[in-house]
Amino acid sequence: MTAPPITELIDAGTVQGIADEVWVAMLGEDEFLVPLPAELPTETVSAWVSVSGPWNGAVVLTCAPATAEELTRFVLQAHPPELLENGDVTDAFGELANVLGGNVKSLLPGPSKLGLPEVGTTPSAGSPVDTCRVDAVWRGHPLSITVQGAAAPVHPERNEVPL
Amino acid sequence: MRALVIDDSRAMRRIVGGILAGFGFEVEQAGDGQQALDAMHAGFVPDLACIDWNMPVMDGLQYVSAVRSNPAWRSVTLMMVTTESEHGQIVRALAAGAHEYLIKPFTADAIGDKLSLLGLLPTEVTA
Repeated sequence: MTAPPITELIDAGTVQGIADEVWVAMLGEDEFLVPLPAELPTETVSAWVSVSGPWNGAVVLTCAPATAEELTRFVLQAHPPELLENGDVTDAFGELANVLGGNVKSLLPGPSKLGLPEVGTTPSAGSPVDTCRVDAVWRGHPLSITVQGAAAPVHPERNEVPL
Repeated sequence: MRALVIDDSRAMRRIVGGILAGFGFEVEQAGDGQQALDAMHAGFVPDLACIDWNMPVMDGLQYVSAVRSNPAWRSVTLMMVTTESEHGQIVRALAAGAHEYLIKPFTADAIGDKLSLLGLLPTEVTA
């Protein structure tokens, strides 16, 4: 069974509501995401988790590398390491995407499987129709959360010359 | 009392471990289910294990099943702490032997409420 595109399953307001809850719980009770469209910088980093099931895609958190570091400091503020290392940023930023993704997945048709968090350059998205995007600002830093359908699979066999 | 926090995220281990330490627990950490089993075989048998679901090597459900299959570990209280919130997943975890289920994101108060339900909250200690 294939689910309809994400825009028929979840809307931006719902994703924003999930993000608000995650921000308050993981960053602090005074931390809010302001739903304002703001342009992302040229250099960005993304953290995401894949969702596999009737709907296939990923939940992706994207921001500037410096914002990812700042998010990490806030996630770890109550229990910080002595020195913030690159691995801490990858780990905490990935966990934010993991918690966002798990809560988004709970609203999608199931059963679905959540992948492990990944951090890197923004993964390719599928059709714009299958993408739900929230742009927001946190402490003056722009970021985006996208729930995006998987890019179409490559079928190299279709390019083979028939015998 | 002793607690074992099992999560592949170091950040989440620090957060959960810090909250439990605030409640008076002696806390050890493991990055996956197999590391947790290794720690238990080595002698750290906790009163409480807080377990993420999605982890490499050995996931939380496999860990719960492994602990429940060993009669020597019958006293260990198992609490899933995970983003997996589908009803079917919660039922699977409880059927495998988990005692409680806490969905991320959570607050320190939410963990305290669960500990209270499980009878693991020292009355004179607050987070």
